[in-house]
Amino acid sequence: MAPANRQQDKKKQQIKEEPRAVKEKAQEQTAAQKPGTRNESVYVGIPGAEALTTIERTVPADEPPPLPPNNQLKYIGTRVSRQDGRFKTTGAAKYPSDTHLPNMLYGKFLSSIVPHARVSSVDTSAAEKYPGVRAVHVIENDLLSAQVLDKTKEVQSKYPVIRYSGQPIAAVAATSAQAAQEAARLIKVEYEQLPFVLGADEARKEDAPNVFPAPAAQPETAGGGGGGAKVPQRGNVRGPERRERGDVLKGLAASDVTVEGEFRTQVQTHSALEAHGVVADWKPNMLTVHASTQSTMSVRDELATIFKLPKSKVRVLTEYMGGGFGAKFGAGNVGVVAVHLSKKAGAPVKLFSDRREEHWTGGNRPDSQQRVKIGATKDGKLQAIEFTSHGTAGVGTGAGTAGPARAMYTCANLKTEEYDVFTNASPGTAFRAPGHPPGCFALEQAMDELAERLGMDPLLLRDVNDESPARREERRIGVEKFGWKQKFRKPNSDPGPVKHGVGVAQAVWYRIVNMDSAVEVRINRDGSVETRSAVQDIGGGIKTVIAQVVAEELGIEPRNVQVSIGDTVSPPGPPSGGSMTTTSITPAVRNAAYKAKQHLLEQVKPLLKGRDPASLTLQQLASKLPIEMVSATARRSPEYGKREGMFLGGVQFAQVAVDTETGIVKVEHVVAVHDCGRPMNILQLESQVNGGVLQGISYALYENRRLDRNTGIMVNPNLEQYKILGAMETPKIDAHFIEHYIARSSTDAGGIGEPATIPTAAAIANAFYNATGVRMRELPMTPARVLAALGSLRQGATA
Amino acid sequence: MIANFQWQDARTVQDAIAQLDGKSIVKAGGIDVMDRLKEGLDSPAKLVNIRTIPGLDQIREDAAGLHVGPMATLDQLDKNETIRASYTALADAAGHAATPHIRNVATVGGNILQRPRCWYFRNEQFHCLKKGGDRCFAQQGENDYHAIFGNQICAIVHPSAVAVALVALGATLEVTGKRGQRQIPIEQFFVRPDEDVHRENTLAADELLTAIYIPKPASGSHSAYMKLGEKESFDWPIAEVAVVLGAKPVVVLGAAAPVPWRSAAAERVLAGNPINEDTARAAAKAALHGATPLRNNGYKLPIFETVVRRTILAAART
Amino acid sequence: MSEKQNDGVSRRQFLRGSALTAAGTAILNSGLLGQTESPTSNAVGPGPVPITMRINGKDHHVSVEPRTTLADALRDTLHMTGSKVVCDRGACSACTVWLDGMPVNSCLTFALDVGQREVTTIEGLGTPDHMHPVQAAFVEYDAAQCGYCTPGMVMSTAALLKSNPNPTLEDVQHAVRGNLCRCGTYPKVFEAALAAARKGA
Repeated sequence: MAPANRQQDKKKQQIKEEPRAVKEKAQEQTAAQKPGTRNESVYVGIPGAEALTTIERTVPADEPPPLPPNNQLKYIGTRVSRQDGRFKTTGAAKYPSDTHLPNMLYGKFLSSIVPHARVSSVDTSAAEKYPGVRAVHVIENDLLSAQVLDKTKEVQSKYPVIRYSGQPIAAVAATSAQAAQEAARLIKVEYEQLPFVLGADEARKEDAPNVFPAPAAQPETAGGGGGGAKVPQRGNVRGPERRERGDVLKGLAASDVTVEGEFRTQVQTHSALEAHGVVADWKPNMLTVHASTQSTMSVRDELATIFKLPKSKVRVLTEYMGGGFGAKFGAGNVGVVAVHLSKKAGAPVKLFSDRREEHWTGGNRPDSQQRVKIGATKDGKLQAIEFTSHGTAGVGTGAGTAGPARAMYTCANLKTEEYDVFTNASPGTAFRAPGHPPGCFALEQAMDELAERLGMDPLLLRDVNDESPARREERRIGVEKFGWKQKFRKPNSDPGPVKHGVGVAQAVWYRIVNMDSAVEVRINRDGSVETRSAVQDIGGGIKTVIAQVVAEELGIEPRNVQVSIGDTVSPPGPPSGGSMTTTSITPAVRNAAYKAKQHLLEQVKPLLKGRDPASLTLQQLASKLPIEMVSATARRSPEYGKREGMFLGGVQFAQVAVDTETGIVKVEHVVAVHDCGRPMNILQLESQVNGGVLQGISYALYENRRLDRNTGIMVNPNLEQYKILGAMETPKIDAHFIEHYIARSSTDAGGIGEPATIPTAAAIANAFYNATGVRMRELPMTPARVLAALGSLRQGATA
Repeated sequence: MIANFQWQDARTVQDAIAQLDGKSIVKAGGIDVMDRLKEGLDSPAKLVNIRTIPGLDQIREDAAGLHVGPMATLDQLDKNETIRASYTALADAAGHAATPHIRNVATVGGNILQRPRCWYFRNEQFHCLKKGGDRCFAQQGENDYHAIFGNQICAIVHPSAVAVALVALGATLEVTGKRGQRQIPIEQFFVRPDEDVHRENTLAADELLTAIYIPKPASGSHSAYMKLGEKESFDWPIAEVAVVLGAKPVVVLGAAAPVPWRSAAAERVLAGNPINEDTARAAAKAALHGATPLRNNGYKLPIFETVVRRTILAAART
Repeated sequence: MSEKQNDGVSRRQFLRGSALTAAGTAILNSGLLGQTESPTSNAVGPGPVPITMRINGKDHHVSVEPRTTLADALRDTLHMTGSKVVCDRGACSACTVWLDGMPVNSCLTFALDVGQREVTTIEGLGTPDHMHPVQAAFVEYDAAQCGYCTPGMVMSTAALLKSNPNPTLEDVQHAVRGNLCRCGTYPKVFEAALAAARKGA
């Protein structure tokens, strides 16, 4: 694969502008023009799948002209090295956990061990007296847990009820990390244990201990994956969240073939390498927080609210951060406690979870117990989809997995019900496409089984039921790149003991736009260009994409664009989540650059003595500025066209080898074909897809958050027994991207972080079936589960 | 959190032994010691560093066999041509342990003496039987990675892959202490839970492991070691086996029991018979006789059958 | 699921700073006790001990307690934060440094154990303006995403190329099999390593 080189890798493509009926739902009227707007012809279509055409859009008058397809662009859509690459590879990049401030103190938590208890007293006196200790804080409110809605029904207690092992109780700030740790252990907690329940199955039983005494909901700030507000709750079971259309029973009755199945997936912890944490510096005029966060704005806003500060007096800094995957929205318990400590001590406080605490409290992907039933007529057309999911996000919510069932395929008759089951375990938070990897694990295997029963190629079954033009093209490309037709054989074709097989699965995700996306672009008199935004880069590379967009607009090289991110002093930026970052901010970047250029031209044109500005470089133009610089700030303008759901997606093909004697599954090859609107940086997109696929393999085969069933304590809160895939498990991954122009913004870019990981486990499971003729209905596919499924166990049972 | 301690760089073996007063512990490569200190399993008053004692890392072969100093690193064992050629099981056991970085530092002595990896033992929140408490949490708990033999009192699996190979190769350990020096066949060095659940070997608090002797394998004898983990990149084994084939075949299972588990039954099947698919399969089956799996680790049985069979055949091919 | 409580754990002790071991209670001196007189002449600590470590070609004089790891000495005492502490148990190799050119986990190394050995950290391998060929290859091939595992990956890869200038893909995989990456940079780490080798790193 070629390295960064903006001259290579451009598809030479003829764009035919034939008039053609476009199956677009939104056709803008060209009649009465709204003031402040103008009409533009903007490209739509998928090069390679069809001829590109244009569609009329009404755009704000000050938008730059629409971009042509990527093959006519110089920097956008090419391979550009990361701006910050050389700082990361040399250790020069300073992460929040690397921050060192004068007089900085070190914080340490004291956490609960028992999973359910009412605390009657917390005696911090010994800790306060410990040499080196400057502040102690007892937690008043666990920000991540669901809260009982009717406060009068909550257990009456001075202290938060402990509802999971690892729940933080208090924290200490001291002059050394060791002193803080030693002092924290001296905090005396008196409590009364309460009955606890750990697994979703147990918690659903009539006689299960109640995790909450009354209905509860997880606040939004917790960054949970969802779990609606007004949902009934009975005991520990919250739900259903029901969506229906048509008549599922009629549809099933009308089906020639029905496939039914139950599927189960495990709890997965995010395990970003940099743990949750902040360095909080409470000063009289400003609270400054160096935060490892996916959303500087969410940290600022939450701290401003909790500490009753104006937002203008809270500054959050995240120049770099070591991964999030959905767990790091909001200030969290760690952020809030650090600020309390800093305020009390009158000094900066560094508070980061250690690896154990990170597993305990850093969030997780809830588990799932899913039932899916689909029916189709002989021609493959789906007549009904019935889908039920239960799952536990511990003391949080958001375990629902019905997203793919609802959004992937066309089906008139649909019924989905999602339930959250409370258990005494740590709260789940959003984890890279919440609900979708497990939901696909179920749905895409049901589809795979349906295809077999119908005697249809699995790709053809998708062609029949999938309206998405992007995925249609992705299937076509993937079939070719993967060699599907040569590799797809009858199940269990190899004699063994090692059996090979191939499988395919699809992803659906959503085009999400965050309107709090703004950027300032400055052109200085010496021709240097700066941009700033509060947006953060969690590893996707938005920093470099920003440089590319500015470079393209101003006609300079990306490496000459100085990009400053991760500072709430700058214009607001979107969160890095939901795969919305690129979608949301790149149009604002482009618009700001365009406006800055307009300002520049306004200033210097009169001084050009009739010369055409297009004949001058940016530097030459800027040198004529009568003032030091021009600048423009632009925010994200609304999407062009009528509001409607738009999607991101992908199709992944996997080849596996199953050692039927040991139960070891090896993924040998993955071809991943994805769309993300206008691809911005191919190098970084490949990295995102690699990352999503590898996380998906790790989820499918190795990871599992294990609680001791008798005490509720996590038995593997480390990176040795919590198993994340490594170099030896890495297969060959081929990532391919289609351009999918939808004419929605001035860049038409979309995200990819989540789609990249959604279908991988399902593709592996389908490949496993193809290899062995046995379907894996439970994750992770450990040797124990594989051998049990293959019928190889004569005694003993699996976990 | 590591509790504070004094540090002493030992100059000689005697110097080190003089420091062993029951409140000090020895640091060889420091790999297991560091983990135990960080998990609060040990809180010594002093760490006695034996990395500073010259001459403890020698590997030499003479007519009698191989002499390995306790401070030889796993990487040195893996890369040593003599060990790879003639004591293959040892090279492979050392070479597949942990990660390359750990193998650069971890010593063969430390590896033999390391304490169990059981996730209850390693977690200071569980005061288990082995640590002086009143119960083994694995029995009724999460015992996926625990023993399938000899597990009724304490269900740890012995953590040392090198020990499995050394038992197969019939090694003898030299131990030096305040009361003098003793030689002990490695099989007798390890302690079963029913003998004493609080320890895994007979090393006294004032003793140092000072040498490992492996008798020269008989000519025509071959050895092999295989490890299977759920992950390959860095994982503890769910099954590991060392086999020595020759006049007297030896089959030893690791990750199966609280001590390296010799299978006399498998050895009887092999003894005097040609080694082929059938005898290997029969021996492997025999190796699992008497297994007493726990609720979650029955899956290990078919895996061990496979790994025992494959290791026997691998040894036959070398 | 059983409702057993207090299985083998003293109720009173449960929440007391999470220290449950009855035997071997933690020695909670904070290092303020200073140097203790010991029977032999060369015991030091438990208070801070002055040592000199040669790091990236320069001598650094620090005073650290015996329990201080090299990782913590680098990061907290010397503010050389390029090496990261992630798992603190040797399971992820984010803390990789070289001791006399040999890659080790600095979180598993005591500062007092460094002795005369030369420490090389990521900062010593190259700088943003003068990168080591491996660092440059990592940039060119996009082998860093969030970047937190990157220093460890670079140190492991550069060590491999020192001893094996012509590695195969398998050699590269083995060299970084102890390096954990959550973002999934492995494929591009492999590419970068092989490219750096081809260039003669």
